[in-house]
Amino acid sequence: MMWRDVGVTLILSLILPVVAQGARHTPPGKPKLTSCRSPDKETFTCWWEAGSDGGRPTTYSLFYHKENSETVYECPDYHTAGANSCFFNKNETSIWVNYNITVVATNALGNNFSDPVDVDVVYIVQPHTPENVTVGVLEDEDGPFLRVSWEPPRKADTRSGWITLIYELRVKLEEAEEWEEHRAGQQKMFNNFSLHSGGVYMVQVRCKPDHGFWSEWSTASYVKVPDYIPRERSMWILIAVFSAFIFLILTWIITLNRSSVKHCLLPPVPGPKIKGFDQQLLKKGKPEEVFNSLVVQSFPPRSTDYEDLLVEYLEVYVNEKQELMPEGKDLRDVGCLESKSQSDNDSGRGSCDSHTLLMEKCGGVESKDESSYEEPELLQGQAGSWERLERGDSQVVDTPDSSDARVKTWPLVFSPSIHGSSDNHHYGTLEMPKQHSTSEITYSVPDHLFPTSTSFPHHHHPEYRDSLGEYSEYRHSRSPSTGVLYHWEAQHHPQAHSNFNIRNLERQKEATGFGLPPSRSMEYVEVQKVNQNQLVLKPLSSHGRGPSQVQFGRAVVDYSKVNGVNNDNVLLLQRQREMAEAGQYCDYREKEGAEAERYPTQQQGKTTKDGPVATQLQESTCLTTSGYVDTVPTMPTF
Amino acid sequence: LLTLSLPVSVLLLAGERILASAAPICVHGQAGCHFLSLADLFDRVIQHSARMHSISSDLHSEFEQYVLPSRNHIGRINRHCHTATILTPNGKENAQRLAREELTEVILKLLVAWKDPLWQFHQNMVHQDDFNNFSSNKALEMSYMVHELRKGVEKVADKMQHLGMISNSLSGLSSPEALDTSSDTSGESQAMSDHDLLYCFRRDSNKVQNYLKILKCRIVPENGC
Repeated sequence: MMWRDVGVTLILSLILPVVAQGARHTPPGKPKLTSCRSPDKETFTCWWEAGSDGGRPTTYSLFYHKENSETVYECPDYHTAGANSCFFNKNETSIWVNYNITVVATNALGNNFSDPVDVDVVYIVQPHTPENVTVGVLEDEDGPFLRVSWEPPRKADTRSGWITLIYELRVKLEEAEEWEEHRAGQQKMFNNFSLHSGGVYMVQVRCKPDHGFWSEWSTASYVKVPDYIPRERSMWILIAVFSAFIFLILTWIITLNRSSVKHCLLPPVPGPKIKGFDQQLLKKGKPEEVFNSLVVQSFPPRSTDYEDLLVEYLEVYVNEKQELMPEGKDLRDVGCLESKSQSDNDSGRGSCDSHTLLMEKCGGVESKDESSYEEPELLQGQAGSWERLERGDSQVVDTPDSSDARVKTWPLVFSPSIHGSSDNHHYGTLEMPKQHSTSEITYSVPDHLFPTSTSFPHHHHPEYRDSLGEYSEYRHSRSPSTGVLYHWEAQHHPQAHSNFNIRNLERQKEATGFGLPPSRSMEYVEVQKVNQNQLVLKPLSSHGRGPSQVQFGRAVVDYSKVNGVNNDNVLLLQRQREMAEAGQYCDYREKEGAEAERYPTQQQGKTTKDGPVATQLQESTCLTTSGYVDTVPTMPTF
Repeated sequence: LLTLSLPVSVLLLAGERILASAAPICVHGQAGCHFLSLADLFDRVIQHSARMHSISSDLHSEFEQYVLPSRNHIGRINRHCHTATILTPNGKENAQRLAREELTEVILKLLVAWKDPLWQFHQNMVHQDDFNNFSSNKALEMSYMVHELRKGVEKVADKMQHLGMISNSLSGLSSPEALDTSSDTSGESQAMSDHDLLYCFRRDSNKVQNYLKILKCRIVPENGC
């Protein structure tokens, strides 16, 4: 019995599988569409994978229908694209149309449908790899670089604009691990810099449509970068050697000048150095001795050589105590004027005192060379000043004794020939007459007066035009001692007159024209002694007498002394006694005549505008024998 | 939200208008305006269309990712775009067989047809909670771009006509055609769901871009073709 059961079981166990095998034939498993791709947006291929086949031979078929259409079509081509694929050719491909694709697996027992897939060809484009990838090494001034160029895959139609491809490449050294990727956009060429010379590079390119999938990488292209001369290394060596050389030289120089370098870097603390100062004495506690030793006997210098004490100008102020005439109100408001009006201390005058500074402050009238006075503004300005001066003078004229006036001469600025006004007169000899000791005429040359020259009372101008020339500025040196040199352009004779007739001078100037001698040399007169109000000049070496006539080359300017000033703007000149030169007589008579003619007009004191008179400078000067002022460049009338 | 979006959109449009008027592009090279060559014009409109398409793609994918699962959509079987009535070439040969004027006309028709639906879509979107502000801005930009792109293509067409590259048969097309298409598709457009609208517009913007590229490489093939 038991034997029989075992045998049945054995037989059953042998038979059942066979039977079961026959029973395993089932309908096929569900196929699955894996992907659909289009290489050119004109055709596409779909692939599927089969499910279990159910033990029977299974056929697969693909069916599709387009969107919004119920017509079902079967795949036209199962073979072109290989097994388990369906290829749609151009005629069957529609772009921007949704394909609903299904794959059916069929065997003897049944069939099985795959899940449907919606496909729009536009979104499944995956081109082939770029073709003709060429890689080369090119030379540049910066060094070698890789140039990669390629072409789009044949199937993708980029020329008509149907497909737009963008490219990407990757580069690496053969032995390197990581790729270096670069996007190349739509261009078909790429340069890669900073190469390792002597290495072998691998390059690959791929592309992608603007909406689609990346293609496969192209097959690698190899390129060998040749060994370049290590220029960089040799350059560094050269630089190192050069810098070492420079360093050696610098060290050598520094060691040579050790002390001076030390002096420069660590400057020694200066100790007190007072000549004659004896620290030991101080320590001993005898200050009197210490300070006595400081006294320098040679100070103030009394040497006869006054070259180093050369002072250009001596300012002699003549204060004007009285108020100016009403018409000059506007002028008085000028800053420059006011600054000088009151003080009678000549030392320490800043701003408007020196002629140079005055020029600057008073509107930039520059003190130029004596030989270069071309600016009419300057002259006009002087004219303006003259007006004031004139007024001041008139005041002075009235009460010469009581007035304080300052006389200023501007030899540099105006290059005038200084005529002998009465004050100048004194100053010429540097001996102020006692009468005029207190008289000061303030003259200033406010620049801004000049443009408003039309307001000047005209008759004032002429009178002070000479004074323009006549005013030479004096400036005391710090030590009002004898060691003062003056600029002296005029010859002054010691005559004290409070009245001076400048009108004559003026007319002369008008007649002869006003200008400035182009070349005028300065002469220095040595001051022997300066008393309170007196300046004693040393006689010039060339002449045996006192302040002699100064000659300026060809243009000899002769000055006539001013005898005095009339009460009404009239300068009375004195005849010159000394005449060093006899030669040059200018057309003096004519001037005289002119003066005589002019005189009445000027006497009126109107503000008549003469017009440009005497604008030219008469080069030659004449000796004034009759006491008239000779040709001095006059200022043009306003 | 609607009241807020209205002035914003008005400002946007107005601003763009002002910007455009600041540097007017003249077709015929009149004085006082910025002269662009035909190739430049084509490049501009193509860039414009590319941007428009990318925005539409973004919106569509956002919709499918975030909004669609929350809605109970049965299926997308009967997707019907309102621009289906416009005959458009569905392949390269078909597109190349079209004349320049016809191709231009197709482009313009498409652009005209989408102006209102997109505006409506933006308006609807503002009310819904499905989209965030970012998407709402994209929708607004999209509708605005359609408008601008249409103007650009019209300028290109003008220039082509001026240069004699296309006949003047196009000039009478814009306004009456626009009216026709809008009247034809107006009813249908309202029946479209948001998803369908985005799907359809994504496709149509791609069509416009492609057609423009074909037109460009046919007319001014100098660079980039």
